[in-house]
Amino acid sequence: MKKILISSIAATVLSTSAFAHFQMLYTDNMALPKGKTVELTQVFTHPFADEHTMDMAGVEEFYVINKGKKKDLMKSLNSITFQGNHNKAKAYESKYKARRMGDHILVLKPKPYYEKNEDAYIQQITKTIINVAGTPTDWDSELGLKAEIVPLTKPYAIWEGGSFTGIVKSEGKVVPYAEIEVEYLNRDVDTKNNKMGKDRVTAPQDSFVTMTIKANKDGEFTFAIPKAGQWGFCALGVGPDKEYKGKELSQDAVIWVEAKPMK
Amino acid sequence: MKKIVLALSFMISSMFAHSAIMSCFDNADGTITCEGGFSDGSSATGVKFKVEKDGKIIFNTKMNEYSEVTFDKPSGDYTAIFDAGEGHQVKIKGSDITE
Repeated sequence: MKKILISSIAATVLSTSAFAHFQMLYTDNMALPKGKTVELTQVFTHPFADEHTMDMAGVEEFYVINKGKKKDLMKSLNSITFQGNHNKAKAYESKYKARRMGDHILVLKPKPYYEKNEDAYIQQITKTIINVAGTPTDWDSELGLKAEIVPLTKPYAIWEGGSFTGIVKSEGKVVPYAEIEVEYLNRDVDTKNNKMGKDRVTAPQDSFVTMTIKANKDGEFTFAIPKAGQWGFCALGVGPDKEYKGKELSQDAVIWVEAKPMK
Repeated sequence: MKKIVLALSFMISSMFAHSAIMSCFDNADGTITCEGGFSDGSSATGVKFKVEKDGKIIFNTKMNEYSEVTFDKPSGDYTAIFDAGEGHQVKIKGSDITE
């Protein structure tokens, strides 16, 4: 009996962990008053609980789009060891000169990560949109990614208590009733020392750690943002690639948004 | 005729409903680039732009097809001005323009 209980606890821990992976493409401020060089951290983690940081397997693509122009950023990536609250893992850091006015859509396509617990691969195609000076240029562009959340709300211009609306797409086609995980970045990210800060809030129950919502029949979803800070949205397994190296692949779409406090 | 008047008034009210925005940076090659725009994302192509120094206009032009202007960096204090009409002027001091 004890054994069953232990294994069921272990299964719960594993499943919680398995359902909360988030590729981060982090910068500390998505709404810049003026152009500047921003520091970016690419780490594969669990932003709410930070119970485990995963080794990134590498990067397939990393680029930015500003005013419709695409610029490759692969050479800007530096390998780092990132210190989570429970373990260290392979990650990346980079700098980007967000000098021009408008939206800078950063896109990271990591190499698929092998998740031992599920004997499957995960690839999270991730977007973070930085705005310079407040004029909108590209934020609502649909990039036709294999897995993509196209925002209907500017992801960098949300007040605390506001909401975020997006459409889940795969190669330009909507994904009806897509399953979306939502997590609050529950800590400061120390980009100088490449480490995570401590928890800011405590979840009353597991379903508040990774919140699962669903898109409607048009692939659209809205989530009210209760607290200032950064929030991640991950549409699970919406991409067309279902297999990698002979194993199952979940090709997910991630977008990060930031709500600002009214003060 | 009524239709035209209505359309015109809509365009004008629409223009005034959003704010003018400008951002400038130093190209580190002796030139400055200023980009103009509006909060609704509309183009600033053709909008007046000038540079003032000691109360005098030393450069006067219009934003190009990409809603931007590049000009030789003046020595000393100067001000870049994006002039989209009354209430829609944005001024940036040269000392605030960095790389």
